[in-house]
Amino acid sequence: MVTQSGQGEQMGAGEQQDARQGPGQKTPRWTHEMLMNMDRRFIFVVIAIAVAAPLIFPLNLPVRSSREAEAYFNEMEKLQPGDEIIFSFDYEPDTMAELDPMSVATLRHAFRKDVRVLAQTTYAGGVGIAERILRQVAQEYDKVYGEDYVFFGYNPDYSATILRMGESIRSNYPTDHYHAPTDGIPLMKGVDCYDDIELLVTVTASALAEYWIIWAGGKYKQRIIAGNTAIQAVLIYPYYQAGQLAGFLGGLKGAAEYEKLIGVSGAGLLGMDAQSVAHLAIVCFIILGNIGFLIQKSRTKQTGGPRDSRQGG
Amino acid sequence: MKRTGPVVFGFLIGMLMLIQYFTQVPWIDDRYNNVLDWKQVVFGITLILGVVSLFLHHWKKIERKTGGWGYSVVTIAGLLFMIAAALIFGREEGPYPWMFDHVQAPMQSTMFALLAFYVASASYRAFRVRSFHAALLLTAGVIVMLGRVPLGEMMGFHIGEHYFSLGTISTLILDYPNLAAKRGVMIGVGLGMTATAIKIILGIERTYLGKGA
Amino acid sequence: MWEQAGIVVGALVTLAIFSLLYKDNPLYRFAESLLVGVSAGYYLVQYCFSAIYRKFYIPVIGEGDLWLLPGGILGLLILLRLSRRVQWMSRYAIAFYVAAWSGYLIPSVLQERILIQIRSTFPPSLAEASIWAVLGSLFLLVGVVSILVYFFFSAEHRGALGRISQVGITFLMVGFGASFGYTVMGRVSLLIGRFQYLFQDLPQALSF
Repeated sequence: MVTQSGQGEQMGAGEQQDARQGPGQKTPRWTHEMLMNMDRRFIFVVIAIAVAAPLIFPLNLPVRSSREAEAYFNEMEKLQPGDEIIFSFDYEPDTMAELDPMSVATLRHAFRKDVRVLAQTTYAGGVGIAERILRQVAQEYDKVYGEDYVFFGYNPDYSATILRMGESIRSNYPTDHYHAPTDGIPLMKGVDCYDDIELLVTVTASALAEYWIIWAGGKYKQRIIAGNTAIQAVLIYPYYQAGQLAGFLGGLKGAAEYEKLIGVSGAGLLGMDAQSVAHLAIVCFIILGNIGFLIQKSRTKQTGGPRDSRQGG
Repeated sequence: MKRTGPVVFGFLIGMLMLIQYFTQVPWIDDRYNNVLDWKQVVFGITLILGVVSLFLHHWKKIERKTGGWGYSVVTIAGLLFMIAAALIFGREEGPYPWMFDHVQAPMQSTMFALLAFYVASASYRAFRVRSFHAALLLTAGVIVMLGRVPLGEMMGFHIGEHYFSLGTISTLILDYPNLAAKRGVMIGVGLGMTATAIKIILGIERTYLGKGA
Repeated sequence: MWEQAGIVVGALVTLAIFSLLYKDNPLYRFAESLLVGVSAGYYLVQYCFSAIYRKFYIPVIGEGDLWLLPGGILGLLILLRLSRRVQWMSRYAIAFYVAAWSGYLIPSVLQERILIQIRSTFPPSLAEASIWAVLGSLFLLVGVVSILVYFFFSAEHRGALGRISQVGITFLMVGFGASFGYTVMGRVSLLIGRFQYLFQDLPQALSF
């Protein structure tokens, strides 16, 4: 799968070097060139197979839960029947593959414990996702809209929404998503601000977890747990270490860990085999590329040719 | 009126929001809540303005028959269809949520799923052990990548009697050097945000108001 | 029936987007344009309901709360950006929005992103924690301080300052490596979601 000229791939530095050596010097140059310049479509096919094969033929690899996922689980587990939580669907369809499993598992856990849920979203595209998941999980546990859960829909401006809810949820949401006045919803009796809420759960693809921490957690002392995409999870560690975040889930793996903790299998656990094999495939590609690079580097040193212009960076 | 007025207005609003944090005066609390409500309306209308601009952009392309104008017809048709669907059948049922669930959501998520292929290809091409720091980045990345999935958690090595799994090593990386890096950047960015916010309230920073402000 | 048809349509548009992997093609561009239009329409409806109907119409027209009227006026000023002649009036709305955000950002960011983070970086005493916890915290402290030194551009990075900033770069590189690992994880997860849809949801909907 050596790159053909004219396919938009640039000639590697080693290739240029070897071309300058002339016909008199015989060096088996195909090895490192092949390793360093695989066709991108070959990589695409391997990744597609690495993801698809374990979904069709599962390996059932064991999933171990992390300390952060256990903390998230424990916060949910502490809730008592009749307690209220705010659940914010802070994501859109682009990341639903990662975050839907967390939302589904968290709502299952909440409804199983008869915890009441005030759901909302700070993304317009989160409305459809929230409606689908709430409907699905509420049906599973025979929960009644207005008594066991309520959906306020989307509200523009996340920062103002977070702060306004600290003062009054009713004023922030005069009606629910379905035009019913908030005052008339049975679940909202005696509930109006963060003081009346046991736990806030944000499932987010952006920096929203940080803003919930800064404003709802910092100003109103609201206890918070977060489900994050993998990319965001790595940024959230300082808040968790500082105690500003009570627990969090990171990416599909986090969802799988939580599903295992609550004992209900979902898309997270089902995807872990594919996740493992795909990661292994990518690591193999990186290693192969570097083997090629090191061979090229050693040959450049032997022949005393010019260094790779990108070296040393 | 055109230049100083907005800056003075911004100063008054900014100071109100800042002072509210430190006081418990009911009148200030009420105005603070009003500003939060107004802000939501302004934000919402700004987003509407964005959609209107998108519509006008594609409309002009169709009018002028510029290259790829046929795709603009598709965009405008999609936009108008969704508005009509919501007006006729409502937001809760019918074609509006159906289009979201079965057209928008699959396409939007696939658009991002494409990145899995590109990130694999880019990792293969870009990550080369060119220097000590590059090697460090690559090693940390590979350990975290493997250590956070079930297959990698099963991998490890022995040093004497102690067994170190990739999972444990990746946890150590995330808990210490990663945390330090993220916290260092976070504090730096936090200081920058605070300084910029102060400059905005005091009217020193005005570029956000556009040309001539 | 509609649900099943929807899953088939979803699979078709998924494949249309995936066709970009081979090369840019009219099918992909059609799907991309449709996505932009449908999303914009979807969002517009949500914005109108939440910002205009619920946050303005209900309180002001329905309940007569005139304190919310200025929000609508500021919103209208934003729309004046479309007219070159009176565009300057929209500056009031922009100044309002940005300054309000700045006002409530300052104390919260100072407290939560700076002061608490600094406090949490200092090691606990040996009476409170194990020797390993204290050593770990000291390591953390070295990392944070050296990174802050690296970002300190008011003095030239020479001598001791240069060496400390090199330590900072080392920490940053490991941090970026961790971010890279998690980025790959996130992107692969998204692909898994689409493949689950194609290989599990679709056959189920078609009752294979």
